[in-house]
Amino acid sequence: MTKSPNNIKLIGGNSHPQLCQSVATKLGMPLARVGAFQYTNSETAVAVGESVRDEDVYIIQTCCDESKINQYLMELLITINACKIASARRVSVVIPNYFYARQDKKDKSRAPITAKLIANLLQTAGCDHVITMDLHASQIQGFFRVPVDNLYAEPSVLRYITEQFERKDLIIVSPDAGGAKRVASIADKLDVNFALIHKERQKANEISRMVLVGDVSNKICVLIDDMADTCGTLCKAAEILIENGASKVVAMVTHGVFSSNAIEKLNNSKLDRVICTNSLPLKDKAAACPKLEVIDISPTIAEAIRRLHNGESVSYLFNNVPE
Amino acid sequence: MRDLVVLGGSSHPHLTKSICRNLTIEQGQVLSKKFSNGETSIEIEDSVREKDVFIVQSGCGDVNDNFIELLIMISACKIASATRVTAVLPLFPYSRQPDVPHAANITGAPLISTKKDSYTFESTPSTPRPLSRGSSLNQSYFADSLPLSGNNNNNNTSRDGLLERATLNNLKQPQPTKGTYTPRSIVTNSASTNIPVVDAYGKTDNGYKQWVAQNGTLIANLLTTAGADRLITMDLHDPQFQGFFNIPVDNLYSRPLLKHYIKDYIPNYQDCVIVSPDSGGAKRATSIADSLGCSFALIHKERRAKVAKNPPSTYASSSSSSVNLLNSVSTSHTNVVATTMLVGDVKDKVCVLIDDLVDTSYTITRAAKLLKDQGAKYVYALVTHGVFSGDAINRVNKSDIDRVITTNSVPQLDNVSVIGPENFEVLDISRILAEAIRRIHNGESVSMLFDHGW
Repeated sequence: MTKSPNNIKLIGGNSHPQLCQSVATKLGMPLARVGAFQYTNSETAVAVGESVRDEDVYIIQTCCDESKINQYLMELLITINACKIASARRVSVVIPNYFYARQDKKDKSRAPITAKLIANLLQTAGCDHVITMDLHASQIQGFFRVPVDNLYAEPSVLRYITEQFERKDLIIVSPDAGGAKRVASIADKLDVNFALIHKERQKANEISRMVLVGDVSNKICVLIDDMADTCGTLCKAAEILIENGASKVVAMVTHGVFSSNAIEKLNNSKLDRVICTNSLPLKDKAAACPKLEVIDISPTIAEAIRRLHNGESVSYLFNNVPE
Repeated sequence: MRDLVVLGGSSHPHLTKSICRNLTIEQGQVLSKKFSNGETSIEIEDSVREKDVFIVQSGCGDVNDNFIELLIMISACKIASATRVTAVLPLFPYSRQPDVPHAANITGAPLISTKKDSYTFESTPSTPRPLSRGSSLNQSYFADSLPLSGNNNNNNTSRDGLLERATLNNLKQPQPTKGTYTPRSIVTNSASTNIPVVDAYGKTDNGYKQWVAQNGTLIANLLTTAGADRLITMDLHDPQFQGFFNIPVDNLYSRPLLKHYIKDYIPNYQDCVIVSPDSGGAKRATSIADSLGCSFALIHKERRAKVAKNPPSTYASSSSSSVNLLNSVSTSHTNVVATTMLVGDVKDKVCVLIDDLVDTSYTITRAAKLLKDQGAKYVYALVTHGVFSGDAINRVNKSDIDRVITTNSVPQLDNVSVIGPENFEVLDISRILAEAIRRIHNGESVSMLFDHGW
């Protein structure tokens, strides 16, 4: 029996209303009347105001806001479960910035692999498909038994670079060895050179010593990373690049977390510009930092949702930016 | 005790400490902190390999934060090769399924609980909506509809002292309380922009009856997914909750503890009346009343959607325009009417209200008011889980409850300081939990704890 055609239902979580709204606008549909709220005892509840029976449900929630991460996570789990018990045909979650992405390995005794736990929790709640973006480690896809589409901000980043800079002056720099692969691929596609900064890390979020590999003199350096959190790495890297004769340093990151005093650090740093995507809400941070520029990723997400719903291939989005 | 490790989450460190003291073991060390981006970080500092691990975490404070912390701790122990991980949840998070908030939209409770000097324990507070939008409209609507709901009996409004006395004289008559829908908890998060706007019937503008997801099974499944092998909890709001789990759940009772309190600290306890503040708790209260040989009374709350004789014509079409919705809200003469009835005689008696959980305290404070109105001499409130969220503790302080007795299933230090130790007593459950842990660890029966307490 072939199933009757169904519709997309787009549900926006409370973490990033602007992104939800612009994805909805790009898909040409309103957000579904489903919302999460909290009781005074701080338990979360989800109110469902329209039928999702037999529909194709997409829930957008991103990991952001230092004080509310676990709340948003519970909200997401409860929403998934609510749609599932309301007989949705398929529940897909769109998590541009994956929860606990950096807790992906047992790096010391008795450390939890929280990214794996989150994957299990999402599946327990009833999610059938995961869309995410620039996972900190793409192996996280293997933590799931359901399909995971790991989208890339790379095409958007490439387009920005080609629009903004002269190719001959450019050099792409990876701020750490872990990002070398990502940076090399971008450098290849742009046909420019790349350099690498090797850091010796002693404690999380604390960098001790950095070594530059490659020649950057009189070049515009583009530092590329998947995530900017406290921005210690980026600021240090920018200093080293300037010391080594770079004419200008620009940083491009996918997920701009900018926690604690990151904005202040950026303002005082040698960085000329910082470009990030709107995978996390920036709120007043954009206003507080004149160096910050934002690339909109909602077209990519909207197109991924459309393709997924229609059963088309998503791989087009790995190399192209939808209009 | 060999191979026994007790770890504590950050929700209730005092309880963990006293459980360990009762077990005469060292508490296992856990480093729980936040990464700079706000993610919870857990490091278990003692080895748990091949150990029997118990993790104590109560469903209080920031419930979501504490719950995720518990899940991460369970998972960390599990992948660190613990033989068995038992979650000890004195107050089970999400155990009480909240009411549908659309009713709160009509005659609901305050959005934000602020400390007030005066409370009315009969009328429902007036702020109606979970959302800021349109709240003023709704509020005026509510004010307009008040006389309608109060009118059906004696024209009395509780703000009028004379009429209130008139009600007191008519003891047999059910007391109408104005707009008496009592939400179990209050909606506070006005940042949620996606909550559907609903009309007085709880329907959204497309005619769909809004509902709120019930989280019981999800919470149970999440705990099992994280790797919990067994669960210890106390006084579950719904005993059926145990059936949501595929792992053993030991539901302990605080009843023996409460019974001891009544026997030992209430003078002439045989003459007092055990009162259940709602019909849901009747079973709990009767079993205590029976075993102590006390008499029993019940407060019964009826909720009825009262539809006006001429429903507004906008409803006939029930089409989905927003204009229509506004009309229906402002002109509808619909209300949820509730009456609170006392079944049983409490005149000149000492009353003992018994409930398993007090959150917003609306039910219990109103019950106390009703009891005093009916001539009760002194009102005790015996509550297993005193959550007292939002402004509840101040409300209790100003209410007709003379003495509150609760347990330390959630931290009570702040509450004691509000009400004062002479009128607020906290019973210690750490001995019961410690004994349950000891028995489970040794593979002994736990059932004697159900009857005798510890």
